[in-house]
Amino acid sequence: MKFQGAFALRCLVLAFILAAACGTPSTPISLSIVPASDAGSAHVKVSGLSSSELSALRASPPPADVWLALLSVRVAGVDAAQPAVTGAYMVGSEDVTFTPRFPFDPGRSYDVAFDPSKLPVPRRDAVVRASLALPNVERVPSVVVTRVLPTSEVVPENLLRMYIEFSKPMGRASGLPFVHLLDNRGQDVREPFLPLDVEFWNPEHTRFTLFFDPGRVKRGILPNEQMGRALVVGRRYTVVVDAAWRDAQGAPLKSEYRQQFRVGPADNHPIALQNWRITAPRAGGRDPLIVSFPDPLDHGLLSRALGVGRAAGGVVTGTARIDPGETRWNFIPDAVWSAGAYEVVVLGVLEDVAGNQIDKPFEVDMFKRIDTTSKPSERRLKFDVR
Amino acid sequence: MRTTLKLAAMLSLVVLTASAPVAAPLASTVAIGPTFQSMSRLAFGPDGVLYVADTSAASIVAVDLGTQPGAAGTKDIAGVDARIAALLGTDAKEIVVTDLAVHPKTRHSYISVMRGTGADARPALVRVDGAGALSLVATEALKFTMVSLPNPVPNPTTGRSNRSQAITDMAFLDGRLYVAGLSNEEFSSKFWSVPYPFASADNGTSVEIYHGSHGRLETSSPVYSFVPTRVNGQPTLIAGYLCTPLVRFPVGDLKPGAKVMGTTIAELGNGNRPIDMILYKKNGKEFLLMSNTSRGVMKISTDGFGSATGITTQIKDKAGVGYETVASMTGIEQLDLLDATHSIVLARTPAGLNLQAVVLP
Repeated sequence: MKFQGAFALRCLVLAFILAAACGTPSTPISLSIVPASDAGSAHVKVSGLSSSELSALRASPPPADVWLALLSVRVAGVDAAQPAVTGAYMVGSEDVTFTPRFPFDPGRSYDVAFDPSKLPVPRRDAVVRASLALPNVERVPSVVVTRVLPTSEVVPENLLRMYIEFSKPMGRASGLPFVHLLDNRGQDVREPFLPLDVEFWNPEHTRFTLFFDPGRVKRGILPNEQMGRALVVGRRYTVVVDAAWRDAQGAPLKSEYRQQFRVGPADNHPIALQNWRITAPRAGGRDPLIVSFPDPLDHGLLSRALGVGRAAGGVVTGTARIDPGETRWNFIPDAVWSAGAYEVVVLGVLEDVAGNQIDKPFEVDMFKRIDTTSKPSERRLKFDVR
Repeated sequence: MRTTLKLAAMLSLVVLTASAPVAAPLASTVAIGPTFQSMSRLAFGPDGVLYVADTSAASIVAVDLGTQPGAAGTKDIAGVDARIAALLGTDAKEIVVTDLAVHPKTRHSYISVMRGTGADARPALVRVDGAGALSLVATEALKFTMVSLPNPVPNPTTGRSNRSQAITDMAFLDGRLYVAGLSNEEFSSKFWSVPYPFASADNGTSVEIYHGSHGRLETSSPVYSFVPTRVNGQPTLIAGYLCTPLVRFPVGDLKPGAKVMGTTIAELGNGNRPIDMILYKKNGKEFLLMSNTSRGVMKISTDGFGSATGITTQIKDKAGVGYETVASMTGIEQLDLLDATHSIVLARTPAGLNLQAVVLP
């Protein structure tokens, strides 16, 4: 209150000065919204203030509550009890501006009110009001689902996760409402995916992870006994991704996406590296190193968990590709292969599509001895380039 | 984490020559004006330092809030989501509330939100005081330090990684911040801890449990909420998992890189996920209050936490320490302790999200 009192006193002094200086009628005040440009963010502009009025505001910047009484910006349609939009006021040489802390939403209307009676030298004009909006941006659908992983035609009954890949970044809204699983009769499978309040995107927001409810994946757990596994062996299913899912620009997808698969028996076996087959390339070229697996591996972890090193030390850099079906990993080195001993390095994080790890199935009988030490960090599979 | 670090060490020459990101956590010195990519979980230390999980940046920011104005306490606000949206210049449908935490001294409520759902989504931290005033916290003027969570390096051979890390809960105990998280690839549970003032986060401890209702199974299901406490005088974390086993982890066992088996002291029912946990005292007894996605709010006496033997046999649905359901608390999406006699909740109603104090049961 003390601060406001001092402000009022300064205004009174200014009023005397201005009354002496100004004898001309004041210009009408107008309100406008200025779109973002190289010069700055989108803002509301108050025009029609005299240079004296602007000087007075500059000379004696009002406190926040006086600014709010002078110039308020509110989301249109909300009642007056709701807070005004938070932002920064600035007095320029020709106008007063309000720049919101968060950019105005394109197409959304904002109710702007300027009360000239709250100027340092009050005008007796009525409150100036305007409903302002930035132009709506037309959102043209451009993003498509490129694939759903796993891509294998047959997946195990205890499939643990799926990935949905998009051609461009997607928005942050929860993805679960846009994904459905239809059974062979075209009926929605009830709650197949784990409802989490965190969204599992990759850093680029182009890949979304869906976990099947582990309560329905694991044997002997109540949801599984009550509802059954989401996937039943022998049946066909369709994953449907709704076109309404919005991309990072707010546009819906170009089209709905559907991918079918069939369900095979549950896979409760650990990954057995001894069953992998390595096809070594020849020295002197850049033929791919090919590693084949008897069962599909998790695409996400496969991308991260396999590497190539020289047996004597050092890494081989290159580009890896995972074949459709996720049973083959191809690696093309940046430089030609030189003859020698190499290793495929397999990190312990690797899992198959059912969550089984190297030498450790997803489901473990708890009456067997459980190793309480960390698993070996990685495995190495030797091969020679000749 | 240990596995990846070993590979990183083996391939260190390439990492260095390629100037690729390294897995070693980075701690920062005190600076002004943190820049957040996102705000997910919030936690206060006893001195009023606010810890903010920035999942998009894979970091945790410790913010010194300084002196924040306003009447002490938190006043109820019906339709707080609409009010926050109005303050941020948008509609309630365009914001996502990510957490609620109460300042231990001023008892103001801090609510983290994401404004927008597209590429231009921005985080915001909002404060509610005892008079019901709602204000945006001007973080650009605040002191902060930051720590990055250990995250595996991209595959050094191919340079690829699509991994991201979500943080499910954070809590402070005896000078350390404990963090639980899970990733978009591995379906497993990890605890990290980091001393404050920040030095560096450890490499994390994998935690596993016996899940009685899974029957003869070991699971690596993710920790969803936890609370630090003392059990028989020992610093302990009580953690809630998917399908709601309640698990006791002595803090002394959580050594970086170790794999720790917790003791399952209760099975609280399937088809459920814990949301938040708080501890409080009433009539000389201590209780745990736990909000859930589908089994309401549970009140659990901590009397038996120390003596409970682990559940290691198959049970049908529930077992171990008992609970009572607080029937009056419904639609709870966020929960924290407001003061000695009240919790504060964000409760979903048909009209929106209500911020309200609730007498501790």
